This record gives sequence, structure tokens and C-alpha cells, in this order.
Amino acid sequence: MKNKDFSYLYQNWDDTVRRRKVFLSNPVFIKGLALAPLTIAATTLDNGIILSIAVFLLLTPTRIITSLITRKMSVPFKTFFYPFVSAIIFAFVYYYMYRVMGSKVMVLGVYLPILVVDPIIVKNFEKTRKESVLYSIINGLRNTAGFIVACILISATREFLGLGTIYGIQIIKAPLLPMAQNSFGGFLIIALYCALWSNMVAKYKYKVEVEARHNERISKIDD
Amino acid sequence: MIDTQRNNYDKYMMLATMPLIFCGVVLHGPRVLLICLNAMITARAVDVLVSMLQHTDLDTKDNSSVQSAIIFCLLMPVNIPFYAITVTVALVVLIGKYVFGGKGVYPFNLAALATCVACVNWPNKVYNAVVPFADVNLWTGETTSVVMSNAAIIKEGGVPGYSLANMLLGNYPGVMGADFILVIAAIGIFMIYKKLITWHAPVTFLLTTAVIAFIFPRIYGFSRVASVEMELLNGSVLYSALFMLNEPTTTPKTRRGKVAFGFLVASLGMLFRYRGNVEFGISFALLFVNAIEGYIDRVVNMDWVSDFGKNSIEYFKSLNNKTEKIEEKAIETSEAMELIGEVEDNIDDVIYSTRTFDVREILRLEEENNHKKGGRKNEK
Repeated sequence: MKNKDFSYLYQNWDDTVRRRKVFLSNPVFIKGLALAPLTIAATTLDNGIILSIAVFLLLTPTRIITSLITRKMSVPFKTFFYPFVSAIIFAFVYYYMYRVMGSKVMVLGVYLPILVVDPIIVKNFEKTRKESVLYSIINGLRNTAGFIVACILISATREFLGLGTIYGIQIIKAPLLPMAQNSFGGFLIIALYCALWSNMVAKYKYKVEVEARHNERISKIDD
Repeated sequence: MIDTQRNNYDKYMMLATMPLIFCGVVLHGPRVLLICLNAMITARAVDVLVSMLQHTDLDTKDNSSVQSAIIFCLLMPVNIPFYAITVTVALVVLIGKYVFGGKGVYPFNLAALATCVACVNWPNKVYNAVVPFADVNLWTGETTSVVMSNAAIIKEGGVPGYSLANMLLGNYPGVMGADFILVIAAIGIFMIYKKLITWHAPVTFLLTTAVIAFIFPRIYGFSRVASVEMELLNGSVLYSALFMLNEPTTTPKTRRGKVAFGFLVASLGMLFRYRGNVEFGISFALLFVNAIEGYIDRVVNMDWVSDFGKNSIEYFKSLNNKTEKIEEKAIETSEAMELIGEVEDNIDDVIYSTRTFDVREILRLEEENNHKKGGRKNEK
């Protein structure tokens, strides 16, 4: 990374964090969104992929439609409108997913429809400022990417530890931690990931600050 | 409890398990020793890893992880796989001890937590009983001599067909080290005599267990005394009473608290044994009561216990006065905390921005403001 990049990042840190939703402000590991479906339903990589596809098809269209329609609505009305729109979109998403994937979709039980009211889909109702369609598309895709990374990591880890397989392929004979398949184990694994992720973000932030201050000193000496 | 007393407790507990390990090796073979060594090394390795991550020196006098690992191992059957012990001990020491703050402040008994984690993860491997003097593979633990444990037989309504002498000596299918009743009793008496542990919690626990077994026997067709004998001699009751109910970090500090603690663990433990699906009901009950251990100390030692006979109106009035004083203190404390928070925010600004703040200047200004406020109050 160039010296100028570190200085720019440090000066615009808040914007950078808002934009980099995969690493710096991951919606699951940093913001704690969508924990219920990940804890209970994401027990295998297969389930994780189904959840990821559902969020991909649900999040961005919900944000686009709601950004168009709720421009002049107050927050109390938005609170009802967001889940209403996401529920309508979910009906089409579920039908499409059932056509493509079959009964695999039903393995997730109630934790697929619960995405309709999950904060990762509907948390924007509390924002008072208007959101342009372009911004809602970009932000929706960024949030989706962050969720997909988290979902794949968590579900793969839980399947490996709990069953000894990854996507059905046996890696080790005896599973190392069968309770990873339970919600208790899921909580532990998500908590460990959150701790690790926060630590990585803090180290990256420290590195950016140190490099930016170093560049500042050098530029002062040159002057 | 001060550090030296805590360290002594750990040291003597580890020494106290040596006779049990020896008996286990005699009955079940050298695999017992290997499993214990595996657990000890894993516990110490996690201690070293955490000290490296925290950039601190390893506290070599802190043997709580190792001591808990050995106590947990002796509750397991000899054919449990090595990886189960390693994963359980690593998880419990890392999460059960260090996530909650480390030495001296973790809330849950580590041995009980490890037992519960192993029961949840590998129930078909943990709920086993290996026949004594059977041929057990040293490395894999494979054996053909696996039978139902006595606790499982009693739960099904049966009666273990072993003589009293065999049950006291531990000469029956069971776990590695928690079945040698005579040895455990001798260790317990020695530890109480040397004041390494107190008698309050274990004796209350055993008495309560005996009373519940007497009143509600699970074994039909036998006398109530026989039911008490079966319940006390099976399911690692005596072992749990002496080795798990006296840990200084996770048990109440007062005598009354320890008595209440023993009573609660016994009541819940018997409930889990009677109605639950697990054989180690006492470990689960112990975790539950560990969660309210501090509250037990406060409740049983409150003045209301002795004041209950006195005039309750006067007592509640005195409580109101106390709460007013507490509220005043709380307000002062919260103001002080706000001031500290403001100063800390300004200290952060000094490091991460070009503005500079003088902390002494801020404190001086705050004092002046407080004096002015005090002056205005006096004027009024």
C-alpha cells in the first residue's frame, strides 16, 4: 500500500469503515446482525449457502424498493413498511429457491422466513435521511458480501468441528467438537470469530494510524 | 482467598488425586496415567498460550487449570479417546477460566464444566463403565469389556449386583478414579483434619442426598437404607463432594453460605439424577448453583435472618434510611465516574488529534465549578 493511501485512509477513517463492509464493519462479526439464523440454522456449509442465497436475493431488492417508497415516510411508518416489503419479496424468493433447490430449503425451518424481520434486512428503517437508489444498491451488495463471508466461515467451521466433514466430504473420522452442531456450540464459535475479527480490525487500524503519522512526520521534515 | 492459600489448595488437591490415579492404574492399566498426563499437558499449554497472547509472564504457581483437568479426568472412563480429553480441557480452560478473567475470578467449577462439556459432546463415550482388570488398548482405548455403569442401572430401576466390600474398594465397572470410596473418604478426612477444606459443604451435601434418597427411593423391593447406600456409593457422589464442592473460587466464603450451597447442589443434583437424562447430574447442578454463589453468600448472611423475629416495620424503616444513604453515595459515585469519563475522553483526544488538553487544568476547572455550586447552595 502506498504512503498516500495510508494517510487518506486515516483522514477518512469513518467513511472507510462505512464502505468496507466485508472486513472493517462486517455486519455479523462487528455489528452483530443476523445472529439468530447463523447460530441455529448455519450448522453445515450447505445450510450456509442456502442462507447466503436467501440474503442475496432479499436484502438489496428490499432496500431498493423501500428507498423509493419511504422517502417521505416518518420512522414509525417505516418500521411497519420495511418488513412488509421484505415479506412480499420473500414469498417470491422462497418460491424460486424451492424450484431450484427442492426440499433442502425446508431443512432451515423457520429460520429462513425469520430473515424477513432480521436486522440485517430491515435495520435501515431507523435512518431519517433519504437514501438514493444507487446508494441502496451499493450498500445492499456490500452488506450481502459481508454476510456471505461470515456465513460461509461459520457454517464451514461448525460442520468441520461438529461432523468432521466439509460440504458432505469426510475430512476427519471423529468430529472434534460435536456440540458445534448445537446452538450452544454455535454461540461459542461465533463469539470466537467475533473476538478474532475485532482483534484483526484493531491491528489494521493501529497499522494505518502508525503509517499515517509516520508519513506526516516525514512530510513535515521535507517541508 | 489470598494467593498463597489458593495456590496451596491447588497443590494439595493435585497431591490428593495421586492415590486415586494409582488405584486407577492398578484396576484399569497404565492408560489412566497417559490420560491424566495428556490433560495436564493440555491445561498447562493453554496457560502458556494465553500468557503469550496477553504478553504477560506465566504464573507458575497457578495450578488451578492442571488441578481441574486431573479431577475431570478421574470422572471419565478409561476408554475415552485422547482427543476428547484434549479438546474438552482446552475449551474449558480457555473459555471457562480465561474468558471470565483468569485465576481466582472464574465463576464455574472447571472440573464440573469439563464433565458437562464432555457429556454433551460425547455421551456414548462418557457414559461407559469398563470392567476392572480388562484388556484396554493403551493408545486407542479399545476394549470389549464395556458395560452399563451402576448409576445407569439404578436409573433404569435395577440394582447393581456388587457386594458392599467391592463397592467400597471400587472393584466394579466404573470410571477411572471416582469410585474408590474408602480411599476418597480417607483423603477427605485427612484434608478436613489438616484444614485444607471445610466440612460444611460436603457434609451438608451428603446428608441432603441421603435424606432425599431415604424419602424418595429409586430402588424398589429393597429397604430405604439400601437405597441411601446405593445413591451415596454410586454416581461419583463422594468424589464430587470432596473434590468439587470446596474449590475456593467458585464456592461461598461463609459457613452459612457453604451449608446452603451444599444443600442446593444436593437437591438439584438428585433432581437431575432422578428426572434428567444424564448420569453426572451433580456436575450440572453444581454449575447451576455456581451461577448464584455470590448471591447465596449475601442472602444467608443478611441481618434479616436474625431480625425476622423483630418488629418488621422498624426493620423496613431502617432499610429505607440505608437506601437513602446508598442513593446519595451512588449519586456521588456516578458524578465522579462522569468526571473520570470526561477526563479519559480528553486523554484519548490528546493522543489521536492535534488538539491538546491539560488534564490538571480540566480537574482544576471542575473543582472551581463545584465550589461555585457549593457557594450558591450556601447563599440559598
